[in-house]
Amino acid sequence: MGLVQKRQYYGLLFVAPAVIFFAIFFLYPIVIGFGLSLTDFTLLKPPVWVGLQNYQDLLNDRLFLKSLNVTIGFVLGSTVPVWFISLAMAVLFFQRFPGRELMKVLFFTPLLPSVVVVSVIWKLLLHPSGILSSVIGPIVGQMPIKWLFDLQLSPIMSVVVHDWHIAPFYMIIWLSGLTSIPPELRDAARVDGANALQSFLRVELPLLKPTAVFVAAISTIRAFQGFSIQFVLSPSQGGPLDVNTTLGIVIWKYGFQFFRMGDAAAISVVLFAFILIFTLFQLRLGRSDDFSLS
Amino acid sequence: MASVKPYESDWEFEARLRRRIRHLILISVGLLISLLFFFPVYLMVSSSFKSEGEIFAIPMHWIPHEFQGLRQYEFAFENTRLERWYINSLVIAAVQTIATVFFGALAGYGFAKFRFPGRNILFLFILSIMTVPFQILVIPMFVLVHQLGWHNSYQGLIMPGLISAFGVFMMRQFAYSVPDELLDAARIDGASEFSIFRRIALPMLKPAAASLAIITFLFSWNSFLWPLVIAQDRDLVTLPVGLTYFSQSLDREPLWAVAMAVSTMATIPVILLFVFFQRYFIEGMMVSGIKG
Repeated sequence: MGLVQKRQYYGLLFVAPAVIFFAIFFLYPIVIGFGLSLTDFTLLKPPVWVGLQNYQDLLNDRLFLKSLNVTIGFVLGSTVPVWFISLAMAVLFFQRFPGRELMKVLFFTPLLPSVVVVSVIWKLLLHPSGILSSVIGPIVGQMPIKWLFDLQLSPIMSVVVHDWHIAPFYMIIWLSGLTSIPPELRDAARVDGANALQSFLRVELPLLKPTAVFVAAISTIRAFQGFSIQFVLSPSQGGPLDVNTTLGIVIWKYGFQFFRMGDAAAISVVLFAFILIFTLFQLRLGRSDDFSLS
Repeated sequence: MASVKPYESDWEFEARLRRRIRHLILISVGLLISLLFFFPVYLMVSSSFKSEGEIFAIPMHWIPHEFQGLRQYEFAFENTRLERWYINSLVIAAVQTIATVFFGALAGYGFAKFRFPGRNILFLFILSIMTVPFQILVIPMFVLVHQLGWHNSYQGLIMPGLISAFGVFMMRQFAYSVPDELLDAARIDGASEFSIFRRIALPMLKPAAASLAIITFLFSWNSFLWPLVIAQDRDLVTLPVGLTYFSQSLDREPLWAVAMAVSTMATIPVILLFVFFQRYFIEGMMVSGIKG
């Protein structure tokens, strides 16, 4: 009996490396992150305590407020359309028809290149003398189209590139949701006289609710972290005129261009608060069963 | 007489026609959209074989007219530190993948198969890590790595991604399925706890480990923000950061064909993983959804 008790302590040895690692490379940074947000710190001199001054300054900080707008715009643009597109594609690829597998692979390809590669490809596509300008330019009667330099178009292009890259990922999640619905339910609805659309809206969609919440929450959480696309795609790391400057880019700018670590840490805390809200929302509504202890 | 096809009833004919039309619609919609999604990737590869002058040809050349072979690739290797960036990315991804899988399995097994005091609170700690994205940690992580004197070094690049909370979480879920009877039998035979883990649990965790290895490799291979801030030395730069040097030049037009060659080079390992381990690849991507 004592032996069995003693054996359980081996578990501590097994988890120790990971736990110690996370204490150093997660818990400690979180603590100094909060701490730094209450100081002025440039890396060169020791931090100077300023209390909540950094947070107060943010309320009047033009770049921060702009980035808050940009981020919310990006979040809306990169969640709502993706939700519908990926669902529509999953429904399409759920049907049986010749050539489906090949088309699925073609549709999946945008997910393979990294975000940076994706952004560089689209930078070429959206070049003023590039293919999209030469195809669409004559239609709208404007040549060349400066997709990435236009203050209205440029943030939309960030959304387009993001959605193109990530839609296949959510398509797969929807598809696995669709596959998990027992076919008998669909058949039963059809026997009862429902057409395809009715059976989809009344039977399948309600059963897909966990997937729907999951896709909505995860895409929102990811979009709040928008950084790489805006950084690489835009002509000047968040430009033109900061219309692509997301919270992630502001953190980078304040931290690594202006070396205002205190302000950058304060913005990180604000971003954390946003993401936490949506994470809690996801845990509550969605797959809370995944996180059960035991 | 037997070879004569019996007459099709009207009903059968109609059903066949309907199916045909349905297939036709599905195929045309599917083809249109999948080609639309595939096009930029095709453009990347085809442009990497074009000459610089051909990149902006109107109308676009679907197949390079002045086929360059591997010239743009050679150019990239000869005129930049591409080889070094490639090796950096590979080494970092390999180290992080091996460590994440090993320590993930170790801790996951520990959480799943032992009841030690503080287990739940420690696991909750690991779970809470998964909800915090790296963007938020980048400033304090940089300060920490700076304090350790590791900025601009391989340790600095590798260490923060050495173990992932998601890896521990995922391996724990799978470690539950290792039968206790098997472990107890080995204990009766006098095996040590670590050798039970290595000889019995680890082999049974292989499929999960394969999925975890693939997504960890991808995550590391694609990571951009951390290498961007931590590696100032050009010889420490990883592939994604190196790639931005091709596209960011403000003063002159980038060499697009070369940039596409480097992009293709950066995507090849991912394509190989996808082709050879498609099942683990997709499974890994799906479970990693929770990683955010």
